Amino acid sequence: MKSLYAFTKKEIMDQLRSNKVLVLGIIFIIFGIMNPAIAKLTPWLFEKMSDSLSESGIQVGKITVDALMSWEQFFKNIPMGLIAFVLLESSIFTKEYQSGTLVLSLTKGLKRHNVVIAKTVVLVLLWTVCFWMCFGITYVYNDFYWENSIADNLLFASFCWWFFGIWVIMIMVLSSTLAQNGSGVLLGTGGVVFGIYLISMIPKVDKYMETMLTTGYSLTTGASETSDYTVAVIVTLIVSVVFFVTGIIVFNKKRL
Amino acid sequence: MDVLSIENLHKRFGDKEVLKGVTLKVPEHSIFGFIGKNGAGKTTTMKHILGLIKADEGKIQVADETVVYGQTKTNKYIGYLPDVPDFYSFMNAREYLNFCGEITGLDKKTIKERSDELLSAVGLDKEKHRIKGYSRGMKQRLGIAQALLGEPKLLICDEPTSALDPLGRKEILDILLSVKDRTTVLFSTHILADVERICTDIAFLDGGSIKLSGKLSDIKGKYRSDEYIIEAENDEAIKELLKEFRGLKRADNMSGKVLTFKEADISLYKVLGYISEKKLPVIKVERLEPSLENLFLEVVG
Repeated sequence: MKSLYAFTKKEIMDQLRSNKVLVLGIIFIIFGIMNPAIAKLTPWLFEKMSDSLSESGIQVGKITVDALMSWEQFFKNIPMGLIAFVLLESSIFTKEYQSGTLVLSLTKGLKRHNVVIAKTVVLVLLWTVCFWMCFGITYVYNDFYWENSIADNLLFASFCWWFFGIWVIMIMVLSSTLAQNGSGVLLGTGGVVFGIYLISMIPKVDKYMETMLTTGYSLTTGASETSDYTVAVIVTLIVSVVFFVTGIIVFNKKRL
Repeated sequence: MDVLSIENLHKRFGDKEVLKGVTLKVPEHSIFGFIGKNGAGKTTTMKHILGLIKADEGKIQVADETVVYGQTKTNKYIGYLPDVPDFYSFMNAREYLNFCGEITGLDKKTIKERSDELLSAVGLDKEKHRIKGYSRGMKQRLGIAQALLGEPKLLICDEPTSALDPLGRKEILDILLSVKDRTTVLFSTHILADVERICTDIAFLDGGSIKLSGKLSDIKGKYRSDEYIIEAENDEAIKELLKEFRGLKRADNMSGKVLTFKEADISLYKVLGYISEKKLPVIKVERLEPSLENLFLEVVG
């Protein structure tokens, strides 16, 4: 337990001192501010362009902006945040394989599963903080300019997206125990997500796939109901746990 | 007592058989030189001892406990310094030792005491910078400090001096020599001068098996020939000796003032007697010690 704590502490120190926390923080704060800002600026932008648009025969009517528009931006931007997250953190395991730093820790009696647990905990923690910070910023701005209450199931919709991120992290962890370098991890993670995305294009299958969790925006507009997501949440939970446990088993037998 | 014993270790990578039955015993409190050419299998053997590679065949015991692949309990007896050690570069030396102590499960007080002691022993006690700015020599020294933190019974160093300048090498060798009372040192190398300087025991690894091993003094004794050399101050003395003793030969030497002979051919005392009787100006009369280099070439070559 003590060694798990020590290794987790070291991971957090690494994240802080290598400025990854700073970079991720800036990215998610910018997204958080951008969501309401784009919604707020849209009418003004259209007004500016209306002259040139009307010259080409397009009539611009009056645009009403509300919190939903800002939340739509939120659900559109958060995938980019997740991609940035995966890109920045893809080498969290593999850089230690290449430098040989892990070998030293392991020969000191650190249990191998503690390495996987500590790194996963830090990834989950970082994603959780970044995601909900972005959410919080958008929420506060939206409340200030408009009314958040018109978005239905806002918390649940956001939870689904956050949970999708957790699932992606688990793919990253499993790929990291299998691959030798960062590009292998990116390939593995990207490959699995893309594969699931392709499968989910098949009608009727989509409800069971993890990618369902990314469609939370339709919850806020009332186009879908929370019960539609039950299966996807359960599937994602099971798959995430399986990936995590498999990661530990693979890592226990990995040649370092 | 042997702190480490390896029996009949075999390892094959693909179609290349790297280890073909390595058998080795390392006695306690020795400084054991593990000698071999590049690619002889020194690092592979060491990684087996640490349970980092799965052996195809054979048995390894550290402090009478058998090493298993993966999570081996025997590692608590071992301190390990890899050939090119790399540490978490975002920490400084003290933070790194603290981290090592914590994952080993030492308490705060012990970590503090041992860190202080080890950092001053390796000369890094005044170093406040982060590890990313360290030179190779500093990293090696920190490597020894982290390896000794858990007070291991066996310190394994993989070519600790190979990449260092003469000063750095001397520092590392001095540190290794100074920890002899506390632990047993097993270090691999291909630098024979280092071995002669500090080792008590040696083993030659070549072609995947141990060609020669034992106490350095025993091995030298065994391979010691009865050959002597005489170096004289001037050519006249050389000529006089050559005239008197038929078995004397001129050695392949630049100055041409060196003679060699074998005890079997000529009695040493007769030569010495002649030299003193005629008061010949000699610089030295010496029994030839087998150099490790010659031994190495003989065994490996």
